[in-house]
Amino acid sequence: MDRREFLKKGGAVLAGTSGALGLPLLTSCGVNTASEDSPLAGRKWGMVIDLSKCQSDCTACLDACRHENNVAFHNDKRWDIHWIRKVNIRNQESEDIEKSVLLLCNHCENPPCAQVCPVQATYKREDGIVVVDHHRCIGCRYCMIACPYNARFFNYKENEEWPNTDFPKRSHGVAESCNFCAHLVDQGRRPACVEACEAIDIRALHFGDLNDPESEVSEIVASAPVKRIRDDWGTEPKVYYLGL
Amino acid sequence: MKLSTALRGKKLGGVVTVLIVIMLLPFGFSAARFGLARGAEMPDVFLEMPPPEQFNRCVEDTDYMRFRHMDLLKRIREEFIRDGNRGNVSLTKCRDCHTSRERFCTRCHEAASVVLDCFGCHYYPEPDSESQQLGS
Repeated sequence: MDRREFLKKGGAVLAGTSGALGLPLLTSCGVNTASEDSPLAGRKWGMVIDLSKCQSDCTACLDACRHENNVAFHNDKRWDIHWIRKVNIRNQESEDIEKSVLLLCNHCENPPCAQVCPVQATYKREDGIVVVDHHRCIGCRYCMIACPYNARFFNYKENEEWPNTDFPKRSHGVAESCNFCAHLVDQGRRPACVEACEAIDIRALHFGDLNDPESEVSEIVASAPVKRIRDDWGTEPKVYYLGL
Repeated sequence: MKLSTALRGKKLGGVVTVLIVIMLLPFGFSAARFGLARGAEMPDVFLEMPPPEQFNRCVEDTDYMRFRHMDLLKRIREEFIRDGNRGNVSLTKCRDCHTSRERFCTRCHEAASVVLDCFGCHYYPEPDSESQQLGS
């Protein structure tokens, strides 16, 4: 074997091995790392928000979320975190129409936040809920930039209060967003905001399995004129709005 | 000519030696620390056992829990968060039997100089003020 041949063959072997090792790394970017036999598989949780029933001065769901998930509130908009929030929107053409809209993480089918996460701390679970593994989060805030719905917030300061001791807080330096109360959903319950809305008998929020054609949300999505925020972006949100 | 080459060779050798020593310093440092730690007397820190009527068996044997609990915690953490396998084992359930974090966690971790960051986010309060001075 002469020098040229050796270099050729060696280069081929090197390229082959690095390709074989590197391909899984490249293809696994932004992909859920959960195993396929996960008990979550087969479901697709979604939410319907009925804005015609939602009252603009009611904060039951916001308070319930804050309490359930220990979401930090410092009364300073630089540091406040909102997993679910209320904004007033106005039509730019007819400025008199103002509407109060609930905004939360849309739990996209194609979550941009999970695709950009360099450490795969943000990922989509088998049942479609987009969650953050705060143990892995390095606080780079790519997800906050990637999220088109501004649903992600960064813990500049730790929450001083601890209303729900069964659920962990987040330390400063990690990003977070709504997780559809995954810990409650796994217990067979529904998110805290939905339960709170039902408790005061307004019933503007509906939660259920979009894969199950008999569930409440599937029926609403199938029959009523629902809208998703910026459907044209292709993120495929799983939060539907009635009367938007 | 010959003299200068020889001098240069010597210099180079010296530089290489110094570089190698610098590269090996961390290993030497940890080896020395390990030796010191082996020599030091391990304080009797494995104290916290729940009362016998409550104590049946932990999720694993006592020996495993003492020395390998971090593996278990990491494993269930991945299963819990990633796969949604919300089993019976969780960090917050430790406090059901082991009431004192100071005696159950802090003392041994301090002796082994392990810094952990669990309880900034997971609820496991310190019951008395004296132990709070020890830190997490």
